[in-house]
Amino acid sequence: MAILALLPTTAQCDALDTQALIRRLAKPAPASIAFAEIRFSPLLQQPLVVTGDLGYNGPAVLDRHVTRPYREDTEIRGESVKVRREGEPARSFALKRAPELQGLLTAFTALLAGNQADIEKQFTIAASGDEEIWRLVLTPVDVRVRKRVQQIEIDGRGSAPRCFAIVNSNEGASVMLLGPAAQTELPQPLTREWITRYCGARQ
Amino acid sequence: MNRTKGAIALLLAWIAVLAAVGWYVNRDLVVGADLRLFLPSATTPAQRLLLEEIGEGPASRVLVIAMSGAPPEVLADTSRAFVAALAQSKSFRIVANGELSFDAIPDALLPYRYLLSATLDHDTLDAKYLHEQLQARARDLASPAGAMLEPLLPRDPTLEILKLLQSWQPVQEPNRQFDVWFDRQGKRALLIAETIAPAFDPDRQRAALDELQRTFKQVAPAGRMQLTVSGAGTFSVLMEGRTRGEAQALGMAATVGMIVLLLVAYRRVGHVIISALPLASAGIAGLFAVSVLFGEVHGITLAFGFTLIGVAQDYPMHLLSHQQPGRSPLHIVRELWPTLATGVASTCIAYATFLFSGVVGLAQLACFTVTALGVAGLTTRFLLPRLLATSGRDYGQSPFLGRLWRGIANLPAPRWAAALLAAASVAIVVFTPGPLWENDLSKLTPLPRDLLEQDQELRAQLGTPDLRYLLVIEAESVAAALARLENLDPKLQEIKSQGAISGYDHAARYLPTAQTQLARQKKLPEAAALQATLQQALQETPFRVDVFEPFLQDVQQARTLPPLMPDALRNSPLGTSLDMLLTQRENKITALVTFTGVNDPQALQQLANAADSKALLLDLKDASESLVAKQRTHLLWSLTVAAVLLIGVIAFALRNRTRVLRVLTPMALTTLLLVAALHGAGVPMTLFHLIALILAAGLGLDYALFFEHAADDPSEQGRTLHAVLVCSISTLMVFALLAMSSLPVLRAIGVTVSMGVVLNFVLALLLTRERSAVHP
Repeated sequence: MAILALLPTTAQCDALDTQALIRRLAKPAPASIAFAEIRFSPLLQQPLVVTGDLGYNGPAVLDRHVTRPYREDTEIRGESVKVRREGEPARSFALKRAPELQGLLTAFTALLAGNQADIEKQFTIAASGDEEIWRLVLTPVDVRVRKRVQQIEIDGRGSAPRCFAIVNSNEGASVMLLGPAAQTELPQPLTREWITRYCGARQ
Repeated sequence: MNRTKGAIALLLAWIAVLAAVGWYVNRDLVVGADLRLFLPSATTPAQRLLLEEIGEGPASRVLVIAMSGAPPEVLADTSRAFVAALAQSKSFRIVANGELSFDAIPDALLPYRYLLSATLDHDTLDAKYLHEQLQARARDLASPAGAMLEPLLPRDPTLEILKLLQSWQPVQEPNRQFDVWFDRQGKRALLIAETIAPAFDPDRQRAALDELQRTFKQVAPAGRMQLTVSGAGTFSVLMEGRTRGEAQALGMAATVGMIVLLLVAYRRVGHVIISALPLASAGIAGLFAVSVLFGEVHGITLAFGFTLIGVAQDYPMHLLSHQQPGRSPLHIVRELWPTLATGVASTCIAYATFLFSGVVGLAQLACFTVTALGVAGLTTRFLLPRLLATSGRDYGQSPFLGRLWRGIANLPAPRWAAALLAAASVAIVVFTPGPLWENDLSKLTPLPRDLLEQDQELRAQLGTPDLRYLLVIEAESVAAALARLENLDPKLQEIKSQGAISGYDHAARYLPTAQTQLARQKKLPEAAALQATLQQALQETPFRVDVFEPFLQDVQQARTLPPLMPDALRNSPLGTSLDMLLTQRENKITALVTFTGVNDPQALQQLANAADSKALLLDLKDASESLVAKQRTHLLWSLTVAAVLLIGVIAFALRNRTRVLRVLTPMALTTLLLVAALHGAGVPMTLFHLIALILAAGLGLDYALFFEHAADDPSEQGRTLHAVLVCSISTLMVFALLAMSSLPVLRAIGVTVSMGVVLNFVLALLLTRERSAVHP
């Protein structure tokens, strides 16, 4: 009978320690993560897919390099964002004008830094799942930001995030598949449901 | 003291009349603060334009705001919150911080973007162009800017709105951080706010400023953030408050001082009270006259006018000091009257010249002074003596005065001393380097220098255009004006590329002529054609085919719109700029071309002179200096006429050449010495110095006349000395108080007149006594 106690416990019995999880996600700067971003929008027939890598060089310093299907570099430094696409002049604007981007920046860099307190300044965190397969849902605290960004969903396995989804209020969403997940074959046609299943799948 | 019943009745009646008129004046009194009243009036078109720009132009309604005292991100946030909070304000037309907000364009204007934007000049909405645009938008959607642009795309896939907003940014862009305007060092966030109330309406300006302060307290996080607001509106509020405050403080101090002085001099409370009556009458009569003739009294006139009362006080003092035992006051005043009247008349003549100076503020001052002094003199002559009983006391008999007079009589005073002093003064005036007169218009305002400099600095940071050179185009209609501007544009481009100017701005840059708008309108495809083109362009783009309906609708609407006129743009972010560049006055349109960084004024002049330009080059610095110089010449001529009249009056009164000379010399010498002193000290003289010089001259004339009148009779000498001593101390006291004012104008007058009083007293004393006639 005592042997039963040694059997591996089921997922529901493992308490999910959010703090420990976030600390585990931390990566030292500089860090580079491959991504595949899928953009859903009510304006689009099918979602747009771009691939590249994200460079994290410290708090509030994020680089986004798109390599396929065209080249585009975005630099976020503190409050200013500069976007450069091949064949076009550079454009810059303020982070405050793009709450989605702000959300990305805060959540991403805070996670990479393993800093829960920073995240909680701007989002409320709801964790679910277990140590193997978990999901963090970040909801913006500021009402004005909530009008644009409904929530940010981060799905992961173990100590690595797999999907980073920014859900907008108007049925648009931008889902980043991170790390090894960036190389995944994407089916045609690509749907939100497939992505949701892929991100939450056990495996 | 005996007082007849008649005297008491007269006293009561007098007080009653004063109270009644005083109440009436107080009820109706409007204290104005319009600084333009002290500016000269314009005679040339350049001068007129200058004054219009200063007074009514939109430039005068723009307040510059700076926020400091926090890290830049916090300042930027506060700047944005501030603008948002004031969006519905009833006091402000526009509050801008440099943010390019899509919401800033009113909905009704959006379809016009196809007519305003230059895109259609070189592109057409064909399949190729639309396809390129849609590809770019698809990439934009996948980029970090995507979510920002997403709501705009169905309506504006070619992003005309964005292009317009970018072209509407000021030519000389101020420094931008975090998307809002900052100063060049990045320490202060800068904003502009255009009030609806004109700059010279202090009450509404004050309400607007209060609103700014309140809003700032709401949006600024607790801490040491500071808000600085600068502009014509703040100046007029400040001036009004200050002049009113200072006038009150001054009046209070002067009154107390005066009472003390009178008690010491006459040692009778009754005299003090009675001598206040002509003074009160003078003040109230002056206010009444100005109120009736001008409708309002300017704050500066009020402040200055009251100190002038220090002069009017002289008349009762002369009467009081000249009392003798055994002679009734009525007799005394009859004897004094010729001298007194001459004194009053000459001062009034000098001030009356200001009525013709062309400066409203000065005309008010003249009216106030002439009325006040006239009333003071007349009440002293006719009413005051009846209130006085025959005195038992001779103030001239005091031993102190006797010693003083003998001491002065024994002072050596060679005749040539006067000539020497005069020569020395002239030498100083001629040989000291530096301008004699102040020509800079900005220095003639009564505003403190540091405020003006701060305002200029803030405006320079915001990149407001060069305020010296302007091209002016006058036309009968907006269309004609815009057409001329469009014609001028290529030439302006040329001199810009040659480096003669760094940049330029004019109304046609924002609002194309009706022709250009119509030409663009013609290039817009009609509904069915556009639909087909769009379908073609949408192939091989990831967009849905049915989402661009709003775009199609906007284009169709744009095809039928009438050309846009300036009025419609009034409430857009362009409103302020357009107002400044295109103004409508009566049935004439004035369009301006402003410049930044003028390196070669000659090139501009050539441009303006070219036959088909029909433009006038305005050098505002030149215009303002000529304005000031012309006014001064005009004034000096008027004063010359007044001087001639004055000499005539005195000659008529005294009828003796030596006596006339003796009376005029102290005054002339004092004036010369004052001019030399000011010039030697490096102070360029302004209009206000001129006013002060005239006042001092008037006083000098008074003193000299009285000393001259007393020439031979020793007891008269004693009494006259007493009178003039009391008068000059009281005047000196009042003007010394004025010299402590914080307003440069009042200070200038105070210092000049104080010096003048002392010099006049001394010189009058020295030059009018007859040495041989002194008895021990």
